[in-house]
Amino acid sequence: MMTAQGPDLEVTVLENREILPGVHSMVFRTHGNVYADSLPGQFLQVEVSPGPFPVTRRPLTIDGLHGDDCVRVVFESVGSGTSMLAFKPVGTSLRILGPLGRGYELRPGGWLLIGGGLGAAGLGFLASRIDCRSVLLGAATSSRLLPLPGLPVLTATEDGSRGTHGLVTDLLGSVEWTAIENVAVCGPVGMMDAVIRQIPERLLGMTQVSTEARMGCGYGVCEGCSLPAAAGGYLKCCTDGPVIPAADIDWERWRGGNT
Amino acid sequence: MTSDIRSWSLWGRKFTSPVMLASGTAGFGLELLERGSLAGTAIVVSKATTLEPREGNPPPRLVETRFGLLNSVGLANPGVDAVMENILPSAAMLPCPLIVNVAGKSEREFAAVVDRLEGSSIPFGYEINVSCPNVAAGGVAFGASPETVDRIARMVREVTDRPFSVKLTPNEGSLTESARAAEEGGANAVTVSNTYLGMRIDWRTGKPLLHRSVGGYSSPAILPMTVARVFTVSSCVDIPVLASGGATCPEDILELLAAGAAMVQVGTRVMRRPDAAAELLTGIKNFLEETLS
Repeated sequence: MMTAQGPDLEVTVLENREILPGVHSMVFRTHGNVYADSLPGQFLQVEVSPGPFPVTRRPLTIDGLHGDDCVRVVFESVGSGTSMLAFKPVGTSLRILGPLGRGYELRPGGWLLIGGGLGAAGLGFLASRIDCRSVLLGAATSSRLLPLPGLPVLTATEDGSRGTHGLVTDLLGSVEWTAIENVAVCGPVGMMDAVIRQIPERLLGMTQVSTEARMGCGYGVCEGCSLPAAAGGYLKCCTDGPVIPAADIDWERWRGGNT
Repeated sequence: MTSDIRSWSLWGRKFTSPVMLASGTAGFGLELLERGSLAGTAIVVSKATTLEPREGNPPPRLVETRFGLLNSVGLANPGVDAVMENILPSAAMLPCPLIVNVAGKSEREFAAVVDRLEGSSIPFGYEINVSCPNVAAGGVAFGASPETVDRIARMVREVTDRPFSVKLTPNEGSLTESARAAEEGGANAVTVSNTYLGMRIDWRTGKPLLHRSVGGYSSPAILPMTVARVFTVSSCVDIPVLASGGATCPEDILELLAAGAAMVQVGTRVMRRPDAAAELLTGIKNFLEETLS
């Protein structure tokens, strides 16, 4: 599939807040309305520095829109690129390419949203566009739980510091399944795989997962961000995804790393 | 071969830009065309095309390092039949010529792929990729042996009257000997060169970061290595040298032209800046006006 989305824009950092330790919420003013029609699950590619390094951009999920011309991302300062980004003060000019990729298909009916750790970024944006009946959030510890104000959230932490002591899959027993017709899952591959195995079978075809891969260009040409496809071969995270029907992924190959 | 860095041509055709898009980071140019990002591009070099479809290497295929990028894509492509049927007809819309990059896992496969591509009116020429670091068969080993380069070039020459370049490896063997072999075998240019073999390891686990362990390293940091190789090779062959490796900013392009390149390819830069060619050309023109007028 070809996608010709998203111009390369010079934007201004309007806000940079550390919302959890090492986790930043950043708002870009785009000086236009390019992002007005962007879908939950789509992403943008941030050019972290105008200098030679890092040589690629950083793909970040769109976490929400502000007004007509602002777009927000949430990211963790983990590598060289995101650490540099975390230090950008308000007023900094950066280039962002987007919106890119396929977002969630916003189907009618009740939705269950399941997030693991920072995979919860973007779920608030999704919830604002669909009939969200329940949100399950899991994280290692309470300081890794992204706030999702106003949503019916159940939480689980591996260290028991908030909510159920355990994994996000331990919350699946509390779900009112009769009200659910769609499922969205976003998190580490092991967590997503565990969720997919435990949700009711009737919902498998209605489950969309937001994937992640090391990405080069972000617009479909470099073939860097491959994900094992159920049909054999590979999908491109950037243009076939990042949001992909769960049934289209070869979970065994993806989970095992024996791809 | 010395050239005027202000005039840009290849194979009898004059260009208004010295910037080519290197194989692998521009697809067949169609996604960039759809984005409106081909301004400033003299020639698109396609992704590698092989006889059979190749799904490419298992992920992870990319690792960014502090000063560059390791890739291990592994020549993922739909195969020459699908390229002929589904891609080349659309490539007629490109505003610039297309050179089709050709790879093979046997010496004969290169000519076999070119032979199939001869059925299309689209290719301006070919780039024979005897230097991919990311495949088990063929790849670097072909380019490292002047005898093999000579044989492959002769086989390609037999099946086409179109011009072709041989994309050489910096990883093994003698670039100058392989370049001479390409010229003697009938090549119309050499591409100098491909990515550098590299590897990263997670020292905590001892496991490589790329699934296939090793990959091809590209970076603005390899520019001086390309300059040296272009300088050397262009003084010992009479065919044009296409520079490839490390060009990131307008001055890099001018430097590679001054080293003897006829044209300059950009790759990794395009991954970050889809409009790289137009940005580079603007800068090049500004520098030439300021400096040489």
